[in-house]
Amino acid sequence: MRRIVAGVVAAAAAIAVLAFCGLALGHAPAELLRVAIRGSVGSPFALQGTIVKSIPLLLTGLSVAVAFRAGVWNIGAEGQFIVGALAAFVAAPWGLTAALIVSIAAGAVWASIATALRFWRGAPEVLTTILLNFVGLHLLGWAVNGPLQERIAQYPQTDPIPSSAALPRFGLTSLHAGIVIAVVVCIALWIFLERTTEGLRMRATGFNASAAQWAGVNVTLQIAGAMAISGGVAGLAGGIELLGVTHRLFELFAAGYGYSGIAVALLAQLHPIGTLVSALFFGALQTAAGELQRSANISITVATFGQAVVILTIIGFGSFRARD
Amino acid sequence: MHAIDFLLLAITASTPLLLAVEGEVVVQRSGIINLGIEGMMLAAAMGSVIAAQLTNRIAFGFAGGIAGAALLGALFGFFAIVLRADQIVTGTAINLLALGITGFIYRELQQSEIFARAVQFRGRNLVVPLAWIAVPIVLAIVLWRTIFGLRLRACGENPEAVTAARASVAGHRWAALGIESILVGIAGAYLALALSSGFAENMTAGRGYIALSIVIFGRWKMKGVLLGTALFGVAAAGQYALQAAGHALPFHLLLAIPYVVTLLILCGIAGRVRAPESLGRA
Repeated sequence: MRRIVAGVVAAAAAIAVLAFCGLALGHAPAELLRVAIRGSVGSPFALQGTIVKSIPLLLTGLSVAVAFRAGVWNIGAEGQFIVGALAAFVAAPWGLTAALIVSIAAGAVWASIATALRFWRGAPEVLTTILLNFVGLHLLGWAVNGPLQERIAQYPQTDPIPSSAALPRFGLTSLHAGIVIAVVVCIALWIFLERTTEGLRMRATGFNASAAQWAGVNVTLQIAGAMAISGGVAGLAGGIELLGVTHRLFELFAAGYGYSGIAVALLAQLHPIGTLVSALFFGALQTAAGELQRSANISITVATFGQAVVILTIIGFGSFRARD
Repeated sequence: MHAIDFLLLAITASTPLLLAVEGEVVVQRSGIINLGIEGMMLAAAMGSVIAAQLTNRIAFGFAGGIAGAALLGALFGFFAIVLRADQIVTGTAINLLALGITGFIYRELQQSEIFARAVQFRGRNLVVPLAWIAVPIVLAIVLWRTIFGLRLRACGENPEAVTAARASVAGHRWAALGIESILVGIAGAYLALALSSGFAENMTAGRGYIALSIVIFGRWKMKGVLLGTALFGVAAAGQYALQAAGHALPFHLLLAIPYVVTLLILCGIAGRVRAPESLGRA
């Protein structure tokens, strides 16, 4: 119950932040609310936009939730998202399925670099995953300015993927089949974490690694597994965003989806099904902020501001206490 | 490029990093991992530019930088020390907060005098000798030769012993965070006022995370972190030199070098690393 109250208060706090920023710029609260609702849930078109935005958020949120549940600090969803998309782009000529599978594999491998460095050199994954984000970001910058740049070489972006590799859309809407994949992954991870012995082992590792080790859990294997799953899901998020929405790569492709995943996962208190609700909320926050930028000239960075406020409110309620 | 120029570049370009590293050594010695150092530095960069442009004095700019870092440092302390929240989650939130707030203020005031006009950095540069000579000596003495330093380090190793000796663990951790805020504030101000001529969004570009990596490489000791920062500085200067030489290596791959070097530095921790015993626990 307390968790739900914390979640609701955190969500309200994020909305309050948006309102405060608008007020600071001299807008009327009623007008702001109207604009925010119009942009996020006020019409079928806005609702589509919100759902499309929440697909990558759901997946990066799940990626973070799995890692944190296993006690692994994967702050690298942003980089894994990028690498997944890069791999999906390269594999796209072989079709949709190949591209999706390759994006998962690339994300998992990218995250597993951090696992390897942790066990081989004792380098903490919280830092290596963050550093790998920057490496991934510049790798993408290099790719879209160099080997993968569009044929006419005008902008730093790739050509669109072949239409055979694009995720199908529902009718004339912008909704794409990625939502089905994301929801399936969400339910699968929920069953895995909460209903299987392997999931129990993973959670036990996160809850108390030395106790889990004593109880006969191979903690090393669990950590490596959690990192690979987490990276794979973030990579898939990048792949789906490419194949379902942007159809091409450009420098700002990731747009913070990886970091937003942390806020999504924490608002959901690391529960896979909760992530579904939380992703929709942050998706709406994004589209609302986008509409505020267009109509009221309030910079879209307020969405990041809102995410931070959500995390701080959640931890203020006493979730995620430091372990003794 | 001459060897002397090269070394000067290596030293000045890594000066903000070094100040951040020194601050982080102090807080980690007191048992706290402050991942929010990235956001603190970003807030300091913005605070320094606002203060310097409004007053037209570089000294006030540095004060503004310290204020910016201290603001987020206090918020971090409230969650990490008072509420005993998880430090990595708190740090991540602080970084998002800094990114959001500075981005918001910058975009709203982009056209104004504060951000549109380049900062004029005049006067002798005292920050470099401060960071490379004075601060390491003072911190080494304070941390290893005073009762305060002994207690501060004990907070990181065995906080129960500090409590048993009737000293305040929270008090020492707040003091450590205060020292870090000052150093990171100067770092952010130097980055924005001296190395750049103003503020840019996300201009810290991961320096906070690089700083945390160097703290581990340097094994929480002054000599070690000086060596680590110097190594990093040389690699970074090498990257600039390659850029300037118009080398065949693509620009974007050069940009990735500092992070790859940091990963290598992190992997260069030979042998067993012993972190402060209670690091990251409440």
